[in-house]
Amino acid sequence: MSLPESNVQQPPYEPKIIGFLCNWCSYAGADLAGTSRLSYPPNIRIVRVQCSGRVSPELVLKAFHEGADGVIVLGCHIGDCHYIDGNHRTSKRIPMLRQLLAYAGIEPDRLRLEWVSAAEGERFATIVKEFTETVRALGPIKQVMVTG
Amino acid sequence: MDEEHMLEAVRQKILEIMPQVDGVIALRRVGKGTAPHLFLPGDDLSELALFPQFPLPTPVRIIQAKYPDKRFAVVVRGCDERQLVEMAKRQQIFLDKLTMIGVACTKEQAEYCRCEMPFPKQVDVGETVEGIPQTFLDEFLAKPREERLAFWKHAFAKCIKCYGCRNICPECFCKECVLEDNLWVTSGTVPPPFPMFHLIRAMHTVGKCVACGECERTCPADIPLTILYKLLKRDVETVFNYYAGANPEEPPLMDSTIFLADMDMLHPPRR
Repeated sequence: MSLPESNVQQPPYEPKIIGFLCNWCSYAGADLAGTSRLSYPPNIRIVRVQCSGRVSPELVLKAFHEGADGVIVLGCHIGDCHYIDGNHRTSKRIPMLRQLLAYAGIEPDRLRLEWVSAAEGERFATIVKEFTETVRALGPIKQVMVTG
Repeated sequence: MDEEHMLEAVRQKILEIMPQVDGVIALRRVGKGTAPHLFLPGDDLSELALFPQFPLPTPVRIIQAKYPDKRFAVVVRGCDERQLVEMAKRQQIFLDKLTMIGVACTKEQAEYCRCEMPFPKQVDVGETVEGIPQTFLDEFLAKPREERLAFWKHAFAKCIKCYGCRNICPECFCKECVLEDNLWVTSGTVPPPFPMFHLIRAMHTVGKCVACGECERTCPADIPLTILYKLLKRDVETVFNYYAGANPEEPPLMDSTIFLADMDMLHPPRR
């Protein structure tokens, strides 16, 4: 038995966001946001990595390929890296990947890099809120990956 | 200087250098084409060739790995030299056991390669000519985003996954390649799914690519890969002030402690 057409409602578009968070700063920052009872959009799915420098371009591209509408990489501030210079690599790699996405015709704003320390729970919540709205405005990645 | 004169000059240079080295890596005429060849002392140099070009850094790497104590010379064009420098930074070849014979490319050759810098640092043979302005990059960037996406989707859809671009690339020396990993590039499907294969390779060449254009020339599907690689190379140069192959003393870009203090230093085209 099928429902009458008018009763079928399309659920509103909710962006899917993958967040790669460094174990030492940003993941602790996200934890602080939680323990401080700060609310942030549930669109972000957090993947804990040992260092933001571990986030290889393949990981980000694969996330997009599998249907993530946005990818956010969060790491320690420059100088605070647990592995001394891991985030120096991130600071070169992710902006270059943003350039590449733009050249290939994918909105670069779907990828974002920010530094969040373990004490910046509030900053974490703000960034996630902001980024979710940016990605919501860009629309589903499907229109980029499938059509054309 | 025409090709025959250049060849003669290179022969002279090789004869001059031969007593100090165990062999010279250069191109040899084979049928209508050329192939890399190791000329040993006393060898006949009449089959020596310069064009059509072939990147010699990979043969250098293979030969040096096999004979680590021997001293070799190699005939290099500008791009070969820069590739060798980038490889030396990553311990793939040893510059202290290598003598370079620098050949400046002719104007026709530079135009054919759309080369920005058609000469090595030290020119032994030939006259340096001006690089070709990279205007086609800005023409490409003037296209709106949707058009760029359609352009690449059309181009990458032609890919037959022959791995020719990777195999020819002197900078692609990894023993294990992510492009062969089923996790990132699904095996058994042609063309590879849109953003995966080509964009991964493009990211992996950042800071090493000297934009020699061999990948594009070798591609049987004529995918205009150099547009992507040259755009990235230009960003690396303008933002990080890192010129691939310029300085063997410098660490590789990704290993360096250079960081982007201000994320807005890069302005990806949003339109």
